[in-house]
Amino acid sequence: MKKEIIIAGFGGQGVLSMGKILAYSGLMEGKEVSWMPSYGPEQRGGTANVTVILSDDRISSPVLNEYDIAIILNQPSMDKFENKVKKGGILIYDGYGIHTPVKRDDIRIYRIDAMDAATEMKNEKVFNMLILGGLLKVCPMVKLENVLLGLKKSLPERHHKLLPMNEEAIKKGMQIIQQV
Amino acid sequence: MAEEIKLMKGNEAIAHAAIRYGVDGYFGYPITPQSEILETLMVEKPWESTGMVVLQAESEVAAINMVYGGAGTGKRVMTSSSSPGISLKQEGVSYLAGADLPCLIVNVMRGGPGLGTIQPSQADYFQTVKGGGHGDYRLITLAPSSVQEMADFVGLGFDLAFKYNNPAIILADGIIGQMMEKVVLPSQRPRKTEAEIIADSPWATYGKKERKRNVITSLELDPESMEQNNIRFQEKYRRIEENEVRYEEFECEDAEYLLVAFGSSARICQKVVENARAEGIKLGLLRPITLWPFPTKAIQDFANRVKGILSVELNAGQMVEDIRLAVNGKIKVEHFGRLGGIVFTPDEILEALKEKII
Repeated sequence: MKKEIIIAGFGGQGVLSMGKILAYSGLMEGKEVSWMPSYGPEQRGGTANVTVILSDDRISSPVLNEYDIAIILNQPSMDKFENKVKKGGILIYDGYGIHTPVKRDDIRIYRIDAMDAATEMKNEKVFNMLILGGLLKVCPMVKLENVLLGLKKSLPERHHKLLPMNEEAIKKGMQIIQQV
Repeated sequence: MAEEIKLMKGNEAIAHAAIRYGVDGYFGYPITPQSEILETLMVEKPWESTGMVVLQAESEVAAINMVYGGAGTGKRVMTSSSSPGISLKQEGVSYLAGADLPCLIVNVMRGGPGLGTIQPSQADYFQTVKGGGHGDYRLITLAPSSVQEMADFVGLGFDLAFKYNNPAIILADGIIGQMMEKVVLPSQRPRKTEAEIIADSPWATYGKKERKRNVITSLELDPESMEQNNIRFQEKYRRIEENEVRYEEFECEDAEYLLVAFGSSARICQKVVENARAEGIKLGLLRPITLWPFPTKAIQDFANRVKGILSVELNAGQMVEDIRLAVNGKIKVEHFGRLGGIVFTPDEILEALKEKII
């Protein structure tokens, strides 16, 4: 098993922390993991992305040409990464941030209205956990129990009271993702 | 604290490894992309556990001179910065080398010249292995290509620095500093006791007491004595070149073409080797782990076995000069790089190999 994933959106959407939780989940499952952020002045308002690799074997490059899965959370990221999904790969996007339809017909495309659901849950901070839930539904690369363990590991202890809310969001995300 | 598997950034791994190695003092000044080293040390508060001093100096120049002072007392001391900050430290680095002092310096490189960008680069190769500061000196240069090596090279760097009484430097870049991977941290070691320091470093200024005065200086006004000092340095450098070359080969047994790359570039080149072999191109990778001393002999041997070498670096062509010196015109040696903080993809490298070498 090897999954090469890009998560891309605006800074502040929780792109990097979602990648971190995914990486920790992989660690909990005994996999090799790598987490490579676009770091620097791109945070808050600019574009931010992170490459996460989960693998049963040693990981070579943390920098990639193309991805098995792209999670796209705004239009600039769609423009940049739509053509970098491997043939037969998966593209997941949030309905709120994307105005031009996906043109590819050789990949599986999913839409998740996570921004709307987060607003409905009156908690914009769970946005990225809704997306993570959607990802795990269409590609169950790690067990939910390990994701919850990974979540716990990646959150500082003072935030552990937020764990149930995040778990709820992951499960909600699994329900609302739809194939396009 | 026993050995355990953790997920962390390369910068964080350096901080944790320093505490666990029993480092006596860290002196630094924040700069992206290596600020997590100082931040992690501040969070971990090692002054409460091991007694390690962690100090944010008023400037890079102050930090390297604190290292100079600490190293003179035989303590294990270190500093870290990124490219522009490392330039500021060069006078102190030259003084440390000129006074035969062991210490560890970390450079997590970013795009230059000048203040440049904060994105990854390998453009400080020349500065690190050819000089940087003034005078005929060398730095033992370790180039980590994983978060694990960021942790491991703290201990290795100090071991080599104290073995030869010479500064050692970890030359990393923004990719290795910022990426998270699994890492096994070493067990906690105690800091050296005063008796151990006196036994290991009898030259140190640990308090005069009954012995003759020890002097730490790089100043020698008599040129004949200064020439003798230089001859002694050169003999030391030849011993290091003889004994401390480290490199790793990847898929080299049957290789017809060779990539040479260090640090993060070597990781990206592993993928290039995988992709090239899937296309039927017999490609191998040589990764220098020590940039000085450089694996000159290993590359000379490859010049008899392969048809061409591509040096892959995040700069405009620096290490390629050392490869060409080793190969001495025997086979084709070319360079491929991206500049100023842009990172190449595996596809770009494979295309460059086809265009320039095959």
